Amino acid sequence: MFHSLLLNIRLFFRGAVLSYIALFRWFTPPAYLASKVIAPLSYMLFFVVLGTFATGKESASFYIIGNSVQMAAMSGIYGVTMSIGGDRWDGTLPYLFATPANRLALFVGRAAIHVLDGILGVFLGLFWGITLLGLDVSKTDPLVLSVVILITTFSTSGFGLLLGALSLLTRNIMFVNNTVFFLLLIFSGANLNLSLLPEWMQTISWSLPLTRGIASARKIISGSAFIEIAPLMGTEFLIGVLYILLGFLLFRWFEFKAKRKGTLEVM
Amino acid sequence: MASIRPFYLTKYLRVIASTFEMTFRQTVKDAFILFAVLFQPLIIAMLALWMLKDKGGQYIIFVVIGSGMTGLWSSLLFISGNGITVERWMGTLESLVAAPTPIQVVVIGKNLANVLQSLGSMVVSYILVSFIFGYPLSIAQPWLFLISLIITVVSFVCFGIIIASLFILNPDVQRWQNGLEFPVYILCGFLFPIALLPGWTTPLSYLLTPYWAALALHASAQGTGTIANISFAWGVMLGYSILYLFLSKRLFRVILKKARVDATLSMH
Amino acid sequence: MNAIEVDNLRRIYRPVMGIFRRKVKEIVAVDDISFYVKPGELFGILGPNGAGKTTTVKILVTILIPTSGSARIQGFDVVREAEKVRPRIGFILGGERGLYWRLSGVDNLRYFASLYHVDPGISKSRIPYLMELVGLEDRGKEKVEGYSRGMKQRLHIARALLHDPDILFLDEPSIGLDPIGAREVREVVRNLQAEKKTILLTTHYMFEADALCQRIAVINHGKIVALDTPEALKEVVKDLHIIEVEVFGIPSEVIERLQAKGFIENLAVENVEQRQVLLIQTARGSEAVPDILAILNGLRVGKISVREPTLEDAYVRLVGNKGE
Repeated sequence: MFHSLLLNIRLFFRGAVLSYIALFRWFTPPAYLASKVIAPLSYMLFFVVLGTFATGKESASFYIIGNSVQMAAMSGIYGVTMSIGGDRWDGTLPYLFATPANRLALFVGRAAIHVLDGILGVFLGLFWGITLLGLDVSKTDPLVLSVVILITTFSTSGFGLLLGALSLLTRNIMFVNNTVFFLLLIFSGANLNLSLLPEWMQTISWSLPLTRGIASARKIISGSAFIEIAPLMGTEFLIGVLYILLGFLLFRWFEFKAKRKGTLEVM
Repeated sequence: MASIRPFYLTKYLRVIASTFEMTFRQTVKDAFILFAVLFQPLIIAMLALWMLKDKGGQYIIFVVIGSGMTGLWSSLLFISGNGITVERWMGTLESLVAAPTPIQVVVIGKNLANVLQSLGSMVVSYILVSFIFGYPLSIAQPWLFLISLIITVVSFVCFGIIIASLFILNPDVQRWQNGLEFPVYILCGFLFPIALLPGWTTPLSYLLTPYWAALALHASAQGTGTIANISFAWGVMLGYSILYLFLSKRLFRVILKKARVDATLSMH
Repeated sequence: MNAIEVDNLRRIYRPVMGIFRRKVKEIVAVDDISFYVKPGELFGILGPNGAGKTTTVKILVTILIPTSGSARIQGFDVVREAEKVRPRIGFILGGERGLYWRLSGVDNLRYFASLYHVDPGISKSRIPYLMELVGLEDRGKEKVEGYSRGMKQRLHIARALLHDPDILFLDEPSIGLDPIGAREVREVVRNLQAEKKTILLTTHYMFEADALCQRIAVINHGKIVALDTPEALKEVVKDLHIIEVEVFGIPSEVIERLQAKGFIENLAVENVEQRQVLLIQTARGSEAVPDILAILNGLRVGKISVREPTLEDAYVRLVGNKGE
């Protein structure tokens, strides 16, 4: 029992590290800098300036916080889906499905490193916010903010796992990723007061990860206590778990179907 | 020599037309292009419509054009920018280079297809906004707008040649590609005036042809510009286009020479 | 004037290895070769993979610059006057890449016709003619991605002929094709020869060179090791006989011992399932058999035959793949 647990933990981390290496194997320092620093910074600047153009300079922190937390989706969606879908591109999927490895460890391990990467991304966003855009964090409890970021990144990566499993069914992973990432810019409330949206869109917003995380981060930075956001964070965590389970079920279903029809490579 | 020029011109125009046609046919079903020219600008348009709702005035046509410009730039950066690289991956670059047509002519045809394709996103968001959202839309100075649009296409096509040749000349530059998309959105005043940016960025905006394109299109659509400042923007765009064409001729000479010495026209 | 003239051509590649410790290694792909091809001639370059055939063709079709030496097509220098060379030649560079997969075969041809400034009126009749010539007349409207490898290679040949060039370069036109596909390609080449085109063909199949070419340059490690008609090349081995010995599981020391024997000019080993066939070239003919059997003593030996040499044997001798 203990031995098998250890084995699964090792598998989990092996998957995690490999998926990170796989993701960045074509990367050189400039490419890394462009994708992980310049691109997120310019996304954020664009939406913050657009936001202040819309609602005035005093609302800047609304957009800064929203777009910083949105960074969790960069790793959580692009990173995670690529590490799942990448196997299909590389043609390694049949080998993976032939192993006796614990599927959950295998599946979730691929997301783990991207949770770390996502947390880093959110902190980097906030760092830009503080240094370049004058975000005021004097009333913020850093520990609580960290918890918010951790949970939000976790739930977003869970969503990424579902998308990753979905991406096994399509040829165009990047198309799905891009579309979802940009739609989240609307639905997460990073750039909008969600009450502006039609009711049906608000329903979607609150069933997605990130929405509660962004709302909580805004509250914490403006000085709220943990207790005020605890229910939001609890739900955010559950949403993450739910998406992971959905993704995992889909992943197993895909494996089952694929083995049955022998369509691993052709889809 | 001068007497055979028109003869070449028709030949080259024919190449541009056939490259245009075949690029269009190849890319019309491409999911990435669908995203870059359609989905991304549409999502940005929707987002901006909600964000700028309280602005009033001409903001809707401003959003339609501005988000269309983002699509134009993204497709120029990612699709036209990779134009030569893709031929190299496919193994067709060697045949293109060895054909009697200068490769710049081919690149012009490809860029023209991409730019016109991404203008489609502006049309789609125009239709979407006016029909689905039910906003009334009108272009204040249609003739000035049309001329601005044509000059925009010309200047984007020429700018695309420079981007594609820089990317093929130096793969390190191409690695910055992901980091070049949004900075241009910011610097070129697609969806907000550059007056909101720190003063030191203004010269950078002036150096970018999309800035002048956005200026002319926004002003003629909203009717906020005078003929003088719109035609000044035209002049700058045309000036840049000539500069880019001139530069591209030299760049391509260097690139092709280097590629034939280093044996990099094909992948090994 | 010769159609193609090549003088002391050399091409060195300097690939950069490694990311951190950059090492530059020199590879001499073409090492001081000279030859000429007469108008209307079908000239073959025969050699193993990596001998420098493709590099030579790429230099001649103006997409690679030689390190030294020069080459002229109908008198025009391939480096300095590349733009004069290009309309005069057509080429294919083996393999299935280099086509627009999402377009149909006919669309591919139409596009390249415009790049070669073929008048639209002419290409309207020329494209169906070429599709028929390469046997693709029924598949022209289909997307290239659905073509077999052989169909793609034949489409390449049609592409090379669009502007009706005088000179054709065919680099490994039958590479990777099944026997039927390869035969179809050879049929096309023969038809082109009948049209009095100058053709430079590279191949690593000796029978292909033998069947098609008027003269053959045998190239190995970037150097021309022989250049003559197929008949004359066979002269190299005319005094020799070929002894084929079938053995089962021959150890490498025994092969080395055979190679050390003075009466064996050349030795090649072909693996056929669990057996090996030794191809021994010797001037002694059947007299050598007892000596060979003495060395093979203790091994299971199957069929033994003695035969006259073919061009393939000449090739083996010229490129010297002893014991390969």
